[in-house]
Amino acid sequence: MNVLVFVKQVADTEARIIISSDQKSLEIENKYVVNFFDEFAVEEAIRVKEALKDVEITVCTFAPARATEALRTTIAMGADKAVRIDSSKFETDDPLIIARILAAYAKREGFDLILCGRQAMDDESANVGAMVAEFLNIPHVSQISRLSMLDPGRAEVENEIEGGKKVSEVALPALFTAQKGLNEPRVPLITGVMKAMKTEITVLDPASFETPFGAIDNGSSNIRVLSYELPAKRPSVRIIEGQTPRDKAKSLVKLLGDEAKVL
Amino acid sequence: MSKDVLVFIECKDSMPRKASLELLSAGRQIAAKFSSGLSAVLIGSGVKRAADVVNAYSDKTIVVDDEALTDYGWDTTSSVLQDIVKKYGPMIVLGTSSMTGKDLFPRLAVRFEAAMISDAVGFDFEGDGLKIKKPLYGGKVISWIAPGTDAMLMATFRPNSFAVSEPGQKGEIIEEQANIRKNPGIKVISFKKGESKKVDLQEADFIICGGRGMKAAEHFSLLEDIGDIMGGRVGASRTVVDSKWRDYDDQIGKSGKTVSPKLYIGCGISGALHHIMGMDTSKVIVAINKDPNAPIFQYADYGIVDDLFTVLPALKDELKESREES
Ligand SMILES: Cc1cc2nc3c(=O)[nH]c(=O)nc-3n(C[C@H](O)[C@H](O)[C@H](O)COP(=O)(O)OP(=O)(O)OC[C@H]3O[C@@H](n4cnc5c(N)ncnc54)[C@H](O)[C@@H]3O)c2cc1C
Ligand SMILES: Nc1ncnc2c1ncn2[C@@H]1O[C@H](COP(=O)(O)O)[C@@H](O)[C@H]1O
Repeated sequence: MNVLVFVKQVADTEARIIISSDQKSLEIENKYVVNFFDEFAVEEAIRVKEALKDVEITVCTFAPARATEALRTTIAMGADKAVRIDSSKFETDDPLIIARILAAYAKREGFDLILCGRQAMDDESANVGAMVAEFLNIPHVSQISRLSMLDPGRAEVENEIEGGKKVSEVALPALFTAQKGLNEPRVPLITGVMKAMKTEITVLDPASFETPFGAIDNGSSNIRVLSYELPAKRPSVRIIEGQTPRDKAKSLVKLLGDEAKVL
Repeated sequence: MSKDVLVFIECKDSMPRKASLELLSAGRQIAAKFSSGLSAVLIGSGVKRAADVVNAYSDKTIVVDDEALTDYGWDTTSSVLQDIVKKYGPMIVLGTSSMTGKDLFPRLAVRFEAAMISDAVGFDFEGDGLKIKKPLYGGKVISWIAPGTDAMLMATFRPNSFAVSEPGQKGEIIEEQANIRKNPGIKVISFKKGESKKVDLQEADFIICGGRGMKAAEHFSLLEDIGDIMGGRVGASRTVVDSKWRDYDDQIGKSGKTVSPKLYIGCGISGALHHIMGMDTSKVIVAINKDPNAPIFQYADYGIVDDLFTVLPALKDELKESREES
């Protein structure tokens, strides 16, 4: 069975982000990690492999060269193959274009199971997974918290939806997005890290393969970022003074009503 | 080209969610700017009652009421919504960035090659066009994004991004027949209804959130009491969830939920960036922490430096009193 995992390398929470003076671009401190939710996806793929044995795991990203490090992390965890579709000639953050490219790759290779993260920590868009599934015309289930493989070619998944928890049986090929709680991602062992250093990472030029799902060139995006800005800063905190906790609580409630007008 | 606006309405207990009414209020401003029409679409089972509420905010309320739509599924719901969008031809389709919205809109956006902008918090006009405000990197940066002029825009917004306007003149209600397409690959085995909380965490106007400083699961009853008085909800930091004092459903932050209530009160929370990312778009932030150097005070509007176990009982009484007065 072939399992494909989409991973994105994203800026670490602590990374400094500077907005250019013309507000048109961002400069991100070189501190990148594998997207938080994608680690659950990689871990789950490895668990499927451990359970079923005859499984090959491919990890794929659409990213510039810096993401090689993220791919190596996933190999060190236990993925078999890593592919980087080079994004350096693209300017797009458009999820539709990214999904077109990733779906084209998935279609070309053919996979039984595709896993990705619930959402990327940088754009917080939660679009790419379901979009890829739509292009491939396969079912998806969002935010899964449990996966078990059934024979033949079916999986049972649990996910949270509005109002409760749902268990579904899904015919493969299918795509699932990983929610926290699906598993505990493993920390790579030294042997895994050594293997990852030696593993060759395939680099693909998107221009070199067919993109049956629509245009991917720079002009084809339907969205354009006009500008970036810092969030409005809050005035510095007002510490509520008072002799006793009761005095403080009293003053706070008064301020919330009269000044902040939120009561 | 006319830029009609269509709002996808979500219901809870057969009534429209507040977040959906917020979208209608925003949609009204957009439609006014473009001199276009505002429609709402209700898809589900037993949703006709909701139409009478929605009606007061939209020109047209399209109702697709069918028993086969009782339980949400992206396959069935998107097939109906797709037909409605085709038939009515809006250029702007708005939804909530709820679990449903996040599951549904991307699939639909592909079918219409739409400009998809999700998890937005506001909009503005630039020249003749619309631009959408969307936080990135956990709120560290705000971006303004414009959809292409000829493209259909599909945008989902966080609850509490807009105020609900006063209801207006009643619009028209149109009932449509559904041609529901189910995906044969998915079979629902079971659905376990969660405990029906009064309001959803992401929709709540008031959130009181507990951190490790709460010390134990049983102390959260203090927060529950205050939440009840205020008609709000209790949230938790990850540490609290990891300690199994509260469910993961209640977690606020980078790896939990993003909330923006009118009033957020953090109790015994240090203010790690991972937590801040989930709540810093709240209108007013209050922190109660005994450590004056706790980072959360850098993000708060009001702070109390004291032991939360002495402050909270007093706060509960004061809030109760102020509620009773108003
Ligand atoms: C990848 C990743 C994702 C994460 N995602 C999240 C997330 O989604 N949400 C989240 O919350 N965290 C998240 N975290 C964890 C985050 O970094 C912090 O560890 C966590 O938020 C700390 O929780 P806390 O504030 O409850 O506990 P602490 O940091 O331990 O703070 C406890 C606070 O309580 C105060 N206190 C103690 N006793 C009292 C008292 N009696 N009265 C008043 N104050 C008192 C202390 O002064 C202290 O400031 C994530 C971390 C990582 C690495
Ligand atoms: N450029 C990318 N390369 C590979 N996978 C991606 C990329 N962008 C998004 N994904 C995957 O899609 C998920 C959702 O991303 P997003 O829609 O950007 O929030 C992520 O968790 C990844 O698994």
